[in-house]
Parts: sequence; structure tokens; C-alpha cells
Amino acid sequence: MEPREGPPPGAAGLSLPARIVVALTVGAVTVGALFHLGMVFLHVAPSNTLSKEHATAVNDYIYPEFEQNWKLFAPDPLQQNIHVQARAEVVKPGGAQETTGWVDMTAMDIADIRHNPLPSHANQNQLRRAWSYYSDTHDAQDQPTAGSGSDLSRTYLQRILQDRFGPTLNGGTVIRIQARVATTPVPQPKWVAGTTGTTTSYRMLPWWNVSAAPSGQENAS
Amino acid sequence: MSAPRTHAAAVPAEPAVPVKPAAPETPTLADLSARLDRAVTRGLTAVTAGAIGRYQSAVLRIGISLTWLLFLLREYPNRGRLYGPDSPWGFDLAKQLVAGNHAFTVLLWSDSRAWFELGYAFAVLASASLLLGWRTRTSALMFMVGVLSLQNRSVFLGDGGDNVVHIMAIYLAFTRCGQVWSLDSRRARRAAEKAAAEAGAEGAPETAPEAGRPAEAAEAGEVPSEGAGKGLAADSGAAGGVLARTASAEGSAPATAAPAAARGRGRAGLDPVGIALWVVFGAVLVGAGAAGKLSTGWALIFWACWVGQAVWWAVRRWAPGEPRTVMDIMGNVIHNGAMLVIAVEVCLIYSTAGWYKIQGSRWQDGTALYYPLHLDDFTPWPALSHALGSSDVMVMLISYGTVIVQVAFPFTLFNRRVKNVLLGGMMLEHASIAVVLGLPFFSLAMITADAVFLPTSFLLWLERLVVGAVTRGRGRTAVVPAQRAGEPEPAAGPPQGAHDSASGSGNGSAPGDGSASEAEPAAGPHPPTALA
Repeated sequence: MEPREGPPPGAAGLSLPARIVVALTVGAVTVGALFHLGMVFLHVAPSNTLSKEHATAVNDYIYPEFEQNWKLFAPDPLQQNIHVQARAEVVKPGGAQETTGWVDMTAMDIADIRHNPLPSHANQNQLRRAWSYYSDTHDAQDQPTAGSGSDLSRTYLQRILQDRFGPTLNGGTVIRIQARVATTPVPQPKWVAGTTGTTTSYRMLPWWNVSAAPSGQENAS
Repeated sequence: MSAPRTHAAAVPAEPAVPVKPAAPETPTLADLSARLDRAVTRGLTAVTAGAIGRYQSAVLRIGISLTWLLFLLREYPNRGRLYGPDSPWGFDLAKQLVAGNHAFTVLLWSDSRAWFELGYAFAVLASASLLLGWRTRTSALMFMVGVLSLQNRSVFLGDGGDNVVHIMAIYLAFTRCGQVWSLDSRRARRAAEKAAAEAGAEGAPETAPEAGRPAEAAEAGEVPSEGAGKGLAADSGAAGGVLARTASAEGSAPATAAPAAARGRGRAGLDPVGIALWVVFGAVLVGAGAAGKLSTGWALIFWACWVGQAVWWAVRRWAPGEPRTVMDIMGNVIHNGAMLVIAVEVCLIYSTAGWYKIQGSRWQDGTALYYPLHLDDFTPWPALSHALGSSDVMVMLISYGTVIVQVAFPFTLFNRRVKNVLLGGMMLEHASIAVVLGLPFFSLAMITADAVFLPTSFLLWLERLVVGAVTRGRGRTAVVPAQRAGEPEPAAGPPQGAHDSASGSGNGSAPGDGSASEAEPAAGPHPPTALA
């Protein structure tokens, strides 16, 4: 504040009660802002002495509205392309069952992203994040590791795939679907010595009965 | 708690030129104490007397609301699949998750399609309204409601850009972000001009020149105390000290008018639009409360805002003296606190992004950039990405440069020139990310966050550019905005890089606060029972 003639228009010249109100406001805002920033700092910083000690308090304050994650492409960028693929078992009108081929759902998203200056979250994030939610809440044997979160993530992923197949496929009614995840490492830059494999590996998920499936279909999970 | 005392003690001791201690080489305890006292007083004056970074907060308001508005319009065809009844993240799943984490969303109040459509339209309107700065105080709150409602409805859809919008939407609700570049400020300016004209017609010779216009300007939040504040850009790190360096070359006449303005401001009008909005807002709150949709915490927040609006209206209308000043100060203090939080938040974003990258081996060996350029999800233009990723030196330079800039940014705030250069670089990088990685909304949100640190002189230069273009476009019928008239004429030409301080900081009220209440008119949520 530059020097000015006369009293500043701020708190000076106010009556005592008014000054007390102002002081209380300044105090409350200062404490509030510093508290908030401290909490956010502990939330975004790596796990450390303080944040471990006060983990409950920090989480209670941060979640759900101040949650944030700025590890964009960090510590290392993802170095593999992950594609979620799915196939379905359908029942033909005659009663014959048939398993469809694998459909690359991620490739469908990528086709929509290509040459699109304004890609949609529906293609960029929906399936991609549903898969990471699933893999965060399940172990490699597809056993749930996060209680109800595991159920939610499984149902979510199943519904995305189910919606994309629709109720009927190849002239039959979809009764079960199965997902697999194809992981292909990005080839190393050509100027980097040594080579890494670029073969695609697959992780097979269990068959899931679609919600309206007729009874008698065993859920493999 | 020491505020009243320090004020009382130190205000008289704040002459135009600070008194230098007679023997500076041997500062006594009393000297130190006095100096500390003065510093505290200056700091207190700074945070109470005006809204710091008015232009920067306006940039944030415009940028974030524009990002979200464009996003909502872009996703309009997909809205049902993303946030609505057609989403695979169904109502049942979302409900379960929210029951656990207590996130705020009005979209889970009812699973009817009509309710969803209403909510989406409401979010669009709130964004547009905040963008224009119409009833900013309420718009900001409604914007926050819209953002939280949509994002918390389908939380697994978001990316970094949504995260920025989410957090800034909450912070914006605490700022007086409509003091410039808003319909509110235009409305206040016109009211002030009208009042000034009337005053002039009545011919009050001794009050007209001094108290007349500045008084009305104060009413409108139009800042008679030019030079009193400065951009957030340089002061975010070191509040008191840097603030004290404000340019005094900007002219002193308006500063002397400030107290007169504070005394002389008249009573506010009735503001029927504001009252109508306030009533609607209250009715919606009653409905939501009766239906048991609001958690206690959120109900308290909304009712506090509602009562605050009423008090503000009453004070402006009936108590233009001290109560009004006190409320003004409270508004300024909260705004300034929020601006500090925003500035530190942006620094935290860059710090975490940078520090985590430093730990990554790909960022260390300088190949990190290569990989996103070969990820299917982030390559809308594969030919471009692959061309960019084919040069080893280019990949290395950009990878290293990114980390260096992100880690360094918070520290460069102590040097304006370096900071401004870095800002330019970061904005450029985000603009390229928009295209190359196909993340336009993320980039726009980040550019907006960067822009919070732009120097006020640059923003004023931009304003003149736009105003000039508009004026020429209209064939010189437009007048120079009156808000400029009260401020010393800024030097023409491009901004001087070293001066962040061309902006005024007001002791006026936020124009957005002008109405007793402001609630989104058409799209206000109805009690869900009406739709079920």
C-alpha cells in the first residue's frame, strides 16, 4: 500500500466493535486459508511423516471436494498402450449358443479421437478410467481388494462393454460377456540403445452374465 | 486479535514517507518493533482496503467459466451417456459411491430424465452467467453447484482439466471476481454515471467534483484508490513487503478522494431483480431442505450465503456508513484470502507435477515426451505426434524444459521478469498440449490458471486493445469506459514488463454484490418431488 494522505479507507477510523469484527474476519480467513493450504499440501505431497501421522484428518478434509492429482505423466509417463477388448456369448433364436470374436473397444474410442480437435470424454476417459478403476480395486486374479468399490468398478466396466454390444449381437441375444485387456509396450525410441519387446500380452477377465441373462448361466467369477 | 491495536498504534505513524531510524546500523528493539508494527499495518491495510488482483480474478472467472461452458456445449450430444440416465455409471452406482464419500451433487436427487436435463441446462446457464459477470456473487455459487453436480455425478470421467475446474469453481465462489470485465461492473458504472449526472444537474458545487463521481465509483466498486493495489502476480509470495512497493507514480489524486468516497456514497437502489433471485434461491433451499436432499454442511453454507446476501442488501440500502464499510472489508479480506489460496494452489499444481517427474527415469533420461506421443489415447494427430517424437534432441529438450519450468515456476514469482517469461512459455506449452495430445479443455483450464499470474499492466494493455478494437468497430460511438476515467490514464503502448502494479485495488464493493440476492432465474432446481 503506498503512502497516502489521511487515514486509509480500511479499518482505521472504525469504532471498536467494527474493528473487532474486522480483526476476527482477518484472523478467521488467515487461519482458514493456511489450514486449507496445509491440508492440500499434505494431500499432494508424497507420503511423509506429517501426512502419515495425520492421514485421517487430511483425508477427511480433502475428500471428496478437494481431491486432486497432479501427477500428470509422472513419475513416468505410461509406456504401453492398453486396449480393453470384449467378446460375447449369444443365444440364437434356435437355442444355439455362439461365442463372438474379440471386439477392440478401445480401438473404437481411438477411431473417434483421431483427427478430432475436440475429443469427447466419452472416448478419452470413460473406458480408460473404468479399466483403471477396475484394476485398482482387483488383484491380478480378479479378486476384489476394495470391498464395495470392487463391486462398483466391476459393474461399471461390465455395463460399458455391455452397452457397446447392445442386447443383441450377430443375430442372437447376448447372455454373457468377457473382457480381456491387451497391453502393448510402446517401442523404445530408436535412438535408445537396446530393445524391449513389443509383443502384446493379454489379461483375461472372467465371464460376466449380463443382467437380464436367463437363469442357469454360471457366473465364472 | 491484535489488529485493532496495531491499527490504532500504527496508523498515525504511517506518513507519506516512512521515517527512517536515525541510526540504522544499530536498530534497537523499539525500532524493530516499530518497523514490524508498520509492516503489519501495511499488510493489514492491504488485505482490508481492497480486492487484490481484481483483473486476475476476473481472468480466472472468465477462463474457468468459459472452459466449462465450452466443455458442456461440446459434450451436449453425449450428455446422457456421460452424466445422465444413459450413463453406464448408473444412478444406482453413483448413489452408492456418493453415499460413501458424501460428494455434493444435485443430479442424484432424482433419477428422472427431466431433472437431469434441467440440471445440465442449469449448469450451462450458470457458466454463461458467470462468464459475463451477471450477478457474479450468485453466479459463482451457482457455477460451483453446476460443476460439482456434474463432476460428482460421474466422477470416473474426469481428467486433470476437470480437476482444475472443480477446485477453481470452489475458490471462485469466495472471490470478488466481478469487479471488472463484467456486466455487473458495467451496470454499476452506468448507475454511477446516472447518479453523477443527476448530482451535477442539481448543482452541488463543492461536492460535485470530489465526492460526486468517486463516491459513485466506490459504490460501484470502481476503485478510486488507484495504485493502492497490485496484481496478484508479484505479491502472492510475499504479501506485505511486495505490496508496499506499489507504484506511486500512478497519480495520487484518486487516493485522496477515497475517504470522501467512502463517506459520500449514497444509498443503494431497491434492485427488484436481485430480490426476485433471492426469493427463488430461498424457495429452492426450503424445498431441498424439506425433501431432505441437503446435507447439514451444505445447507449451512447455502443458507449462510442467502442470509449474507440479505444483510449486504440491507446494509447497502439502509446503513451506508460503518456497517457497509465493515462488510466491504470482510468481503475484501475473504477475496484476498481466496486469491492467496488460488495462487498457492497453482504453485502446488506445478510443484507436484514437476517434483514427481524428477523422480521418473524417463524424465531423467530425457525420453519422457516420446511416450505420450505414442499413446493411442493421446494422439489425435499421429503424423504430427510421430514427427515431433522422432527427433531425439527435440524430445530431450522439451522433456527437460517441462520439468525445469514446472519445478522452477513457484520460485520465479520473486522475479517478475523471469516469471513473465516462464508464464509465456507455459502457456505456449499448454496450447500445444491442446492440439498435440488432444486435451483442449485441460489446456484452457491450465492456461487460465497460469493467467492468474499475469501482470496487471499486461491485462490493462489487453483491455485497451479490445476496447479500442470494439470502439473502432462501432465507428467510435462507444465511449471510453468510465471505470478508466477515474483511474489515472495508463500510459499507452505495450505493458512495461517490470510493472505489475498498474491496477488499482478498490475499497469499493464488488458490483456483483450489488443485489440483495441473486439466483439463477429460469433454471433453479425445483424440489425433486415435483419431477418424480
